[in-house]
Amino acid sequence: MEDDFIIEAQNITVRYGELTVLEDVNFKIRRGEIFVIVGGSGCGKSTLLRQLIGLEVPTEGQILIEGENLSEASQDDSSSIMKKFGILFQSNGLFASMTIGENVKLALDSNTSLDEETADRIIDIKLNSVGLINYKNFYPSEISGGMQKRAALARAMALDPDILFFDEPSSGLDPLTASALDKLIIELNAGLNTTMVIITHDLASILTISHRVLMLDKSVKGVITEGKPEELLNMKENELVYNFFNRIPMEG
Amino acid sequence: MSKKIVQIDYVNEGDSIAMKPSGELVMTNADNYDLKQMPITKDTKSITLDMENVERYDTFMLAFIYRVETMCKEKEIKFEMIGVNTDMQSYLDLLMPKDEAEPEKEEKGSKFVLKVENLGNKIKTNLTDIHGFVEYFGILTTKMLKLFVKPLSMRWEDFPSQMFRSGVMALPITILIVFLIGLITGYQGATQLKRFGADMFIADLIGISITRELSPLMVAILVAGRSGSAFAAEIGSMKVTDEINAMTSMGYDKYEFLVLPRVLAVVLSMPFIVMICNVVGLFGGLIAAISTLDVTVISYINRLEMSLTYGDIASGLIKSLFFGFVIAAIGCYKGLKVEGGADSVGRMTTSSVVASVFMIILSDAIFTFIFQAIGI
Ligand SMILES: Nc1ncnc2c1ncn2[C@@H]1O[C@H](COP(=O)(O)OP(=O)(O)OP(=O)(O)O)[C@@H](O)[C@H]1O
Ligand SMILES: [Mg+2]
Repeated sequence: MEDDFIIEAQNITVRYGELTVLEDVNFKIRRGEIFVIVGGSGCGKSTLLRQLIGLEVPTEGQILIEGENLSEASQDDSSSIMKKFGILFQSNGLFASMTIGENVKLALDSNTSLDEETADRIIDIKLNSVGLINYKNFYPSEISGGMQKRAALARAMALDPDILFFDEPSSGLDPLTASALDKLIIELNAGLNTTMVIITHDLASILTISHRVLMLDKSVKGVITEGKPEELLNMKENELVYNFFNRIPMEG
Repeated sequence: MSKKIVQIDYVNEGDSIAMKPSGELVMTNADNYDLKQMPITKDTKSITLDMENVERYDTFMLAFIYRVETMCKEKEIKFEMIGVNTDMQSYLDLLMPKDEAEPEKEEKGSKFVLKVENLGNKIKTNLTDIHGFVEYFGILTTKMLKLFVKPLSMRWEDFPSQMFRSGVMALPITILIVFLIGLITGYQGATQLKRFGADMFIADLIGISITRELSPLMVAILVAGRSGSAFAAEIGSMKVTDEINAMTSMGYDKYEFLVLPRVLAVVLSMPFIVMICNVVGLFGGLIAAISTLDVTVISYINRLEMSLTYGDIASGLIKSLFFGFVIAAIGCYKGLKVEGGADSVGRMTTSSVVASVFMIILSDAIFTFIFQAIGI
């Protein structure tokens, strides 16, 4: 199923007042792939993510999720589309006043009416799959940053989303913890066929996890290239891309 | 969602039940797979769960299987699962928790032992709490005394704005409240005094109760609600965002930087607020007096002059100094005690007000005894 596209971004333009952040951005994401969005600071990655998950409506263009237009959907439709998403925010967004288990429970309750025992079991399964089964009754402040990320992942996965979005999952993590998280992402992607859309700066992680990479740049207010990671790594003809992937600082 | 389709077929064959769920075994469909309908009887010996007709599934399937399995275990029924295709099997393998490890926070010991342990722990936290406060109090006092020798050790830049916020900004509400208190006391007293024909003593009543008790007390309670809670919240949020750590690492002392300016601002502004409120409270009493009793403005003021001593006013002001210290010290202390996240800030803010008000009333009682003993 080569062209089973789960997300299609068509002619996305985003303006804030006078400032144009993204201009005519187009790309498609296949079902089950790990799709990484990279680019220098301030090029509009987080902005693009907010459009993709329906938190903002693009100034022009549209986002199709499984063929449904997220940008033009009614309130009810768009919230039912958004139920297909699991989102791991950059600063994890765990509720500090609730235990890890209760955080996952809250996500479950948002769209199901499971009885206590079933919900409990599902929470166990989720926490188990991120290796936190023994931390159900801990508060976020009682576990480490890497564990918090994983707990947030368990929460994002609570409703078995079709698409998982990550905003810089490895930020603030040491390389070992970050690569453990990468491994988890790969495992879950392979086992559950969940589509993953990941924003990251982390070169090592891009090269290990991504199936396809979309690179944005400020200079064109949009996509400068798109392809397999190993292609971009050796893309000598495009200086911007080559420098980014080979860690060569830009002049000026 | 009104009609409920039960999507489990049950076939009874003697002492065994064949259970065959069909359709979409997913979370949003959970209602259709209620296990309450299971026709288990005393004689049931085995249950076979046939997964062949399950078309779509998610984590709910695992929970479903688990619940059937545990139910069988509890009732000592043999459990068997068939019709699992390879996709489903690998899904189960990936997600099904491997070892049935009991959660870490296991409770050990009997109920009684546990209760005693809990009680002990509570006492211990309270004792460390008291210890922490005494220590804080000690440091704060020495730092304040040090100010007399080295006035520049404190960060004075903050002081005027703190003084403005906790002093000047507090005036409107305190003035209003104490005015009303004066008015109320006046009316209440007037009805009693009228019965004895002791109209003139209204000035004594108002004068002493306002200057000695009501004005300092009301002002203190209001300032605790305004400034004490604000200090706790401010310093608490700074703690959460690592600002205090940053400050300490730059070599600044959190007491000199944060606590002292606030404490000093409240301590010094309290007597002024109370003084202004005294006048307003007496004025409120005056209005009550002239409107209900046979008293004129001149006679009220003359009587006040006779009955009010400097001791009355001074005792109120001295108390207010101390109340100010208690309020600001507790507010900052609770802020510094914030641990963890936003919820802790909220808890500490509340607790700062409760603790301040309690300490204000308690110390007021002690002051009353002391003043009585030394005859002010
Ligand atoms: N709500 C907004 N209003 C105005 N400008 C905005 C808004 N959101 C983002 N921008 C601008 O859009 C540009 C891109 O921001 P964005 O946060 O998307 O960058 P980014 O690629 O995520 O950067 P980083 O890697 O540093 O997180 C920035 O110049 C920013 O100032
Ligand atoms: Mg960003």
